[in-house]
Amino acid sequence: MAGVSSPPPMDEKAKRTRDLLASFYTNTSNSNSAAPSSPSAASNLTPRSPSSLDSINSPSFDASSYMSLLVQKSNLEGLLQKHVQMAAEIKNLDTDLQMLVYENYNKFISATDTIKRMKSNILGMETNMEQLLAKITSVQSKSDSVNTSLFEKREHIEKLHRSRNLLRKVQFIYDLPSRLNKCIKAEAYADAVRFFTGAKPIFEAYGDSSFQECKRASEEAINTVIQNLQEKLYSDSEPIEARAEAVVLLKQLNFPVDNLKTSLLEKLEDCLLKLEDESKDVSVGEISKTFRAYLIIFPDSEQRLIELAQGLFSRRYDAVRDQLKKRMLSVDLLELLGIIWEDVTTVDQVLPEAALPAYSLESTCSSIRQHISIAFSHLQHEISDAVAGSQSKSNEGRDELDLHIVLENSKKAAMQGSLDLLVELRQFFDEKLELLPKLRELITDWVQEGFQEFFQNLEKHFILLSGSSTNNCHLGESNHSGVLTQSPDKLPTGLVLVLSQLAVFIEQSVIPKITEEIAASFSGGGVRVYEYGPAFIPGEICRLFRSAGEKLLHLYINMKTRKISVVSKKRFTTPNWIKHKEPREVHMFVDILLQELEGVKIEVKQILPCGVIKRHRNSDSVGSGSTNSSRSHPNAMREDKLTRSNTQRARSQFLESHLAKLFEQKMEIFTKVEYTQESVISTVIKLCLKSLQEFVRLQTLNRSGYQQIQLDMEFLKAPLKQLVDDDDAAIDFLLKEVNNAAHERCLDPILLEAPILDKLISAKLVKNKDLSASPL
Amino acid sequence: MQGASTGIVYGGLKYQARCIADVRADPDHTSFLAGTLSLKEENEVHLIRLSPSGNELLCEGLFYHQNEIWDLKSCPYDARILSTVYTSGETYGASVWKIPEISSQSNSPQLDQLVSLDDHTAKIKSVLWWPLGKHDKLVTIDERNIFVWSIDSSNKIAKVISQESVGMLHNLSGGAWDPHDRNAVAAICDSSLQCWDLRTMKNANAIEHAHIRDVDYNPKKQHILATAEDEFGIRLWDLRMPKIPLKDLPGHSHWTWAVRHNPEYDGLILSAGTDSTVNLWQVSVGSEDSAIDSPRDKRSRQIDPLLNSYTDYEDSIYGIAWSSQDPSVFASLSYDGRVVVESVKPYIQRK
Repeated sequence: MAGVSSPPPMDEKAKRTRDLLASFYTNTSNSNSAAPSSPSAASNLTPRSPSSLDSINSPSFDASSYMSLLVQKSNLEGLLQKHVQMAAEIKNLDTDLQMLVYENYNKFISATDTIKRMKSNILGMETNMEQLLAKITSVQSKSDSVNTSLFEKREHIEKLHRSRNLLRKVQFIYDLPSRLNKCIKAEAYADAVRFFTGAKPIFEAYGDSSFQECKRASEEAINTVIQNLQEKLYSDSEPIEARAEAVVLLKQLNFPVDNLKTSLLEKLEDCLLKLEDESKDVSVGEISKTFRAYLIIFPDSEQRLIELAQGLFSRRYDAVRDQLKKRMLSVDLLELLGIIWEDVTTVDQVLPEAALPAYSLESTCSSIRQHISIAFSHLQHEISDAVAGSQSKSNEGRDELDLHIVLENSKKAAMQGSLDLLVELRQFFDEKLELLPKLRELITDWVQEGFQEFFQNLEKHFILLSGSSTNNCHLGESNHSGVLTQSPDKLPTGLVLVLSQLAVFIEQSVIPKITEEIAASFSGGGVRVYEYGPAFIPGEICRLFRSAGEKLLHLYINMKTRKISVVSKKRFTTPNWIKHKEPREVHMFVDILLQELEGVKIEVKQILPCGVIKRHRNSDSVGSGSTNSSRSHPNAMREDKLTRSNTQRARSQFLESHLAKLFEQKMEIFTKVEYTQESVISTVIKLCLKSLQEFVRLQTLNRSGYQQIQLDMEFLKAPLKQLVDDDDAAIDFLLKEVNNAAHERCLDPILLEAPILDKLISAKLVKNKDLSASPL
Repeated sequence: MQGASTGIVYGGLKYQARCIADVRADPDHTSFLAGTLSLKEENEVHLIRLSPSGNELLCEGLFYHQNEIWDLKSCPYDARILSTVYTSGETYGASVWKIPEISSQSNSPQLDQLVSLDDHTAKIKSVLWWPLGKHDKLVTIDERNIFVWSIDSSNKIAKVISQESVGMLHNLSGGAWDPHDRNAVAAICDSSLQCWDLRTMKNANAIEHAHIRDVDYNPKKQHILATAEDEFGIRLWDLRMPKIPLKDLPGHSHWTWAVRHNPEYDGLILSAGTDSTVNLWQVSVGSEDSAIDSPRDKRSRQIDPLLNSYTDYEDSIYGIAWSSQDPSVFASLSYDGRVVVESVKPYIQRK
């Protein structure tokens, strides 16, 4: 209500007038429109029940109750004010009503004037109308008479015209054969076909009777047309548009075009097959032209053409893959792929729907990938051939295997081979082939992956070659062993050493070099999922080869010692030591032992570098264990002790050795093996002597047996020291250990007298000299 | 990995010695029997007991044994019964002995000989008791034959039930009795490990592999056994797949002489070698997940199976024995007669 009272007085006045008028005409009350009539009164007097007081315009308005309420609620001043206000309102209403009445009356007068004027205007019109009707009737009658008079002539003309048309048609049909022939001569086949198809319904209707002759002739003609059209279609020299037109015409003649299409496509297929056989006979450019032509000629043949094109290229990629199986150079591969790629782009311009570039990219990827993996497997073969292949050579010819040459060869194979491979693979980047940049990252990854796998496989291969792999055998390596040229256990021990040294070489030289090269030209990549990191992890490979090298070195030592151990075992388990006869000469087992050791030395000398000569140091021990079985005092074997009674002697001996241990320097036997000649030889010898000691401990000897061992050990002393340049102390110690063991296990330990010992040894030396001097 | 000398040393053996055995039938103490190997002296069998405080080894008994002892086993169901294999010069023999009641006046009594197992025609290598308890049979192995004895210790009777020769070509050197199967014995032969079925006395199964020195069944898992050998150190086998070993352990710098499974903790293996070390290994042999799962396999490969190397010895070690009373304790015997008892507790907890 506050909103309603606020607008300016002019509006309020107009509104009020309108409201009043509305109430006057409709005679219905509207509380909303009535409300503003006494806004001040309502708000002033009875705010609590506005409806009863405000609705002065409503039918339920009770003047007396309004009055009484007003009187009750208001004071005198208020009532006076109200009175004045009401008086003014009533006066206003009066003037409004007067105005309304006057306006209405005015309108009524003007309406009466208008009606009067209309009536006077209509009076003259009727006569004009009647005149018009008469004139129109006369016109109609005249037109009818003209029409009837001309009817006859018109009919005649129409009839003449019809017969003329018919005659023309008949003439056309009679002329058709000659016309067709004319068309054929002019090669206007389109016209010929149009004529023929035009005449066709007539031939169908009357061909059997009146136009028989005509029909035959024109059919002949049209057959010629068909033939010509077919020729046109088959001939490649014709312009494509003409050929396409020919097809359309043939189709109009209801000729079975589909057969034509299939035969043509078959021809094309043959042509494509021929393309593979003699690759230069038909160029792909022509093929692509043919494709385009066919595409235009047979718009519905696209699917088939796509198949053909895809077939063509899949065959070509297959051929590439077949070629890949043989070793081929990257350049050749690139050339091949380049040619194919060009062809693909040519065909693609014609047949974009075949999605050939995508297919080609995929195939190129797989070809390159295959190429890389084949290259790596070839490299592996080369290296293993360098190692193992030499063996077969040696089997044929010399017995003596020149291990040094084998090592150098295989080193070269490993280093040069992998570098060459890198150089070759780098050509993938140099080549300006369009699709290769897209593959750059992929290729990088493949090369890195390839190297990673290559080295891993190489390591496995080494282990397998060495014949020590046991657990790994069944981890899917059966396929590897199938590739292997010889069974692993035939590998001579020397080659194990070669492999070991090769592993060290790979770890120390090849891998850093390769890492460098890869960083230089195959860095990046990273299309692979990141969580796997870069594909080529030199650290891991280095670790692998380091451990492989050590493993192989230990294996070599192990194999050598095992061989000697077998000999020793036979030596110590066969004779009955308790009933051993007096020693007459140095046992021939010593010769075998020395021969084996000499063999080790020859092999080692060829392969391993000379170590820095150093005296045996205790600090060398890397904790693989120190042994010191009864580190005997130098005097422990003095003869005066041996003269004591048995019991006393044994007891005292035992105590003595215990005591001696306290004083004598601890001797290290099992030191870490290094990649040097001395280290390997001395390790082998130490292990052998230790084995001898253990074998002796398992026996019980009589005096002669003891003396025999004493003699053998004494004899061994000099040659062993010759073999081991730097570690005399260890040899002395271990030989003494063997003697001690024999002493412990002897029922009656009395040493051989020194002169006899010397005599027997010198006899043996002389004998050996004789043997080596006399030709075999 | 220089092993700190944490072991408890028993220096009571005055002569060289090879054999030590756990006294399984003694439920209250950690006890071991050790026998000496002296060619010229009267040999001794020592009953060694770990003191209750666990930091001292006490000699509970010292018994004279005429001949040098090459093999010694304690009866698994009677703490006072033991078996020895002995030689003296050219003669050899095997006997079952009873430790006499320990009386104060005699400080080194003789052992009572219950039974002499003297039907052997070749050099006896070892006597086997069924390892897990009372069983009235005994197996002895000599170089050519396997004997099964029926033994009645109370009546001092031993009878040969069956005997089978392996032929002249083979040379038996020892064996082990399957704790899971009373009818299976593994015998070490020159060129193979043969598994004998005692019911038929036939060679049922063989691991064709040369130069095995020692064999031990896994007491927790049937069909699994460990061998110690020259060539490959220690190998674990599943008898159902005798072609390929389950696992290889590098073993020792020189010969690996003995190998023993821990009686309680699965995968804990002890080995002793002539390089004067005792090695403690941790190997998990889940026969199912044998290296099929490659990433897991890789990870397990990175873990060094060698838990510790005990190097504080002066001479080759031929005898090791786990205590069955306290499975975290083992005794080792080096050739110079020193018995060292070590606890492997720190390494078990690490697992």
